[in-house]
Amino acid sequence: MPGAASATNASRDDAVLKLENVSIALSATRTTMVHSVSLSIDRGEIFGLAGESGSGKTLLMRTLFGLHDDAIIESGRMTFKGAEISSSGHRKRVRKLLGHEIGFVPQDPFSSLNPTMRIGKQIREALYLGKGISPKSGEAGKIALDLLDEVGISEPELAVDQFPDQFSGGMRQRIVIAIALSQEPSILVADEPTTALDAFTQRRIINLIIERSRTRNLTVILISHNLELLRQNVDRIAVMYGGQLFNILDSGEISEGAAHPYTVALFNCIPRKDMTLGDIRSIPGEPLSAGYGLTGCAFSKRCGLRQDVCDSSLIPVNSALARSFDACLVKAGRQA
Amino acid sequence: MLLLALIGPYIAPFDPLAIDFRNRLVEPSWTHLLGTDGSGRDVLSRILYGAKLTILSTVTVIATVLFFGCILGIFSAFVGGTIDNFLMRIADVWLGFPPLILALGFAAALGSSLEAAILALIFSWWPTYARLSRMITVDILSKKFVASANALGVSTARKVTHYVLPNAFDILIIQVTLDISAVMLAISGLSFIGVGAQIPQPEWGAMIADGRSFTSKGWWVVTFPGLMIFITAMSFNIIGDMLRRELDPTLVTRH
Amino acid sequence: MRYVLERIAFSLFALFILIFITFLLSHVVPGDPAIAAAGPNAGAEKIQLIRERMGLDQPFHVQFLTYGSKVLAGDFGTSWFTHQPIADDIMRELPPSLELVVLAMLINLVISFPVGLIAARYHGSSFDNGVRVVAIAGAGLPIFWTAILLQQKVAADWQLFPVAGRLSFAYRDFEGATGFYLFDSLAQARLDVFLDLIMHMFLPALALSLLFTAVGVRITRTSMISEFRKDYVVMARAKGASEARIMFRHVFRNGATPSLTVFGMQFGWMLGATVLVEEIFGRPGIGRYAVKAVTQSDIHAVVGVVLVVGLVFVISNMAIDLILFAINPRKARED
Ligand SMILES: Nc1ncnc2c1ncn2[C@@H]1O[C@H](COP(=O)(O)OP(=O)(O)O)[C@@H](O)[C@H]1O
Ligand SMILES: [Mg+2]
Repeated sequence: MPGAASATNASRDDAVLKLENVSIALSATRTTMVHSVSLSIDRGEIFGLAGESGSGKTLLMRTLFGLHDDAIIESGRMTFKGAEISSSGHRKRVRKLLGHEIGFVPQDPFSSLNPTMRIGKQIREALYLGKGISPKSGEAGKIALDLLDEVGISEPELAVDQFPDQFSGGMRQRIVIAIALSQEPSILVADEPTTALDAFTQRRIINLIIERSRTRNLTVILISHNLELLRQNVDRIAVMYGGQLFNILDSGEISEGAAHPYTVALFNCIPRKDMTLGDIRSIPGEPLSAGYGLTGCAFSKRCGLRQDVCDSSLIPVNSALARSFDACLVKAGRQA
Repeated sequence: MLLLALIGPYIAPFDPLAIDFRNRLVEPSWTHLLGTDGSGRDVLSRILYGAKLTILSTVTVIATVLFFGCILGIFSAFVGGTIDNFLMRIADVWLGFPPLILALGFAAALGSSLEAAILALIFSWWPTYARLSRMITVDILSKKFVASANALGVSTARKVTHYVLPNAFDILIIQVTLDISAVMLAISGLSFIGVGAQIPQPEWGAMIADGRSFTSKGWWVVTFPGLMIFITAMSFNIIGDMLRRELDPTLVTRH
Repeated sequence: MRYVLERIAFSLFALFILIFITFLLSHVVPGDPAIAAAGPNAGAEKIQLIRERMGLDQPFHVQFLTYGSKVLAGDFGTSWFTHQPIADDIMRELPPSLELVVLAMLINLVISFPVGLIAARYHGSSFDNGVRVVAIAGAGLPIFWTAILLQQKVAADWQLFPVAGRLSFAYRDFEGATGFYLFDSLAQARLDVFLDLIMHMFLPALALSLLFTAVGVRITRTSMISEFRKDYVVMARAKGASEARIMFRHVFRNGATPSLTVFGMQFGWMLGATVLVEEIFGRPGIGRYAVKAVTQSDIHAVVGVVLVVGLVFVISNMAIDLILFAINPRKARED
């Protein structure tokens, strides 16, 4: 059991999740989609994962946590609470952790709830699977009501007997988060939890997650394509593009301009009105295709700093699991 | 299969209608590859001739319902409003009725013959195409490029030939392949119960009906025509499925 | 509530169309209905008499109204080959057919749901591919041919089942209050009769169901595959649910709903397809009755069958839709 392993290692090493040169491939075609990602996330840390849509955020996280049917960890090591779980039988091993150690909130609030099961039952199922609380017990019912109240659903007594389609997108997203939190995991992965929501609801949901993280020392991985949102709310941010890991930096460092050119471009496209989003987003998912590998930077064709080295060299990888990391070949060349 | 229907009659070794009482129920042999039936007719020759009959009838049904169904569907889509609504409600109801029983009713009213069975199936099959072509037309008419065509004053006829038909082609062709097998099964079924092709005619369903009294003495008389129906229907299903996996709209099949 | 009323209104509309179609069949298509009604051997005088009695000198819409009100009152005319009121004939022949179709439907459901579900769960596996190919091929099976082969091989050669009939000779005196012998035999605690009935029904029901089962498997599989791709499955896994739990508690129910609509339609189609098997297996029933009526050119008896099968069809579809609505009002309305 991972619990035993974590007890021995946690004192030495405070990382909850460590990825060392992890590559993700589609199982059907053996196409490598995400290349050599290395990073380490600390206990209680709120960690952001940024990148345009299609850059591979969802694919990476779902595969890591055994939730992707069509992709596998092709190479590299994944360590959860000090225990290595990426070798043989990876999917089986992570799945044992799902529901109590690991919580995951899928991307689309409109389809992440079972349409034919009442809300109350879906929460009670989570309590049963995660904590062994009998679904019929009064305790389960009470916890469900408290949770719905906590995530801001008015009239929880009514809500538990309703079906998902009776709620708006924002409410559904809150219900999904309530379900994930009900299992009191030690790490919560939230995939674009606020993308479909208005600014006000967005704030509420983010605050709810941050608050939980503070009070229970919950580690959070927040996936979003909105770098500004991450900058305001998380401790550290990893930036991905085309299946490559470009940048890891403290959220405070973004505006200082020392970041990877892609991070800068991504950040700049949010607040400045004179720049159309289309300029930045117009590149299709093609850079992800097989054989792109680590030779050449996926961003070079759009990058203002581009030099010859960008298309010919291997981009650096964060093998040392440094807290900060920059994969820009041009900047690396200047320093050398 | 179409090839078989075309050349079948030329490669058939015997006259499909030639009765030979000395050679009744001969087991499959080198002279009679698939044996002979209860009246001494060569089963292989009858199957080959039957290919033409069965496939021709099926094609007639499909071509007719395709033609009239599309006219009705496109008309309905262009007219819109109450008429459109009413027509499509009728098509909905009609589409659902068990086609075999409906065709049986028509065949009974028209009298028993292969032509009657064909007509009967046409009567029961048109709604599939009316519904489908109306759906496609409505879909296309709602597209932006049609709106700009409207602004340019493009005529309705031109809209149909230039926008609707080319776009409808893929979907219709899939539906046709899937329907061929269903229509073929229906025709042979009707012939089998005696309201389609009449017994000496070498239609596959009628051949099975004819061979039924000899199943215990001559398995080949029933087995081979049925196998032909099965293989042909199956091939069209497989082609239809392959086409659908290429294009993947949600289509209905009736049986 | 509005949905329920709309659904009922649609069924009434369907009934109207049905009556209209059968009116066309019996009064317009055959040319001179009086000749058709009189039968092939009638003389000119008799035809003239019938023409007046049928009100064929009346205008079209009056004829239709007369016909419609007669049909709604349950008067389908008299069969000239059984010399009985057609309605009585049909009421007698319908129960054995319905029993047969129910059994065939059970076979269909018992195969379609699990096979479709498991194939979808292991989508892309060799099992799934096998299921797909068999389902596509099976949809090309001529029912009457399957029936003859099964009867010949399984019943006649291997003697595993009776070759024909509804009941063994020993039970020829069995009678029941409802005509649904399966039900009647249980009500009279005649288990021996019940088993004998099942033995007689099994092969025809199997022959009848194979084609529909192939279609059923295909549709269930497709709908289950699309369910497995939805995020609530990811969510359930993330909650720590086992694969079995995900399949049976989550996916099954959602994936079954769209296929239920198809099974509702298949019920009527199967009843129509009894014309292909009942005759072969020498079973009484509405299919055999229809075939007999057609070969005897008894148009009104055929039309009666068309009406009743259509009616069963309209009712079974409405029932399925209303059941789905009762289970989950919103989802039913979306579909
Ligand atoms: N099951 C799959 N089969 C094939 N390609 C996939 C599959 N899942 C994801 N992809 C591809 O992986 C890429 C990354 O997608 P995704 O992880 O959803 O991006 P993001 O979450 O960053 O927006 C996309 O190009 C997508 O097409
Ligand atoms: Mg994503």
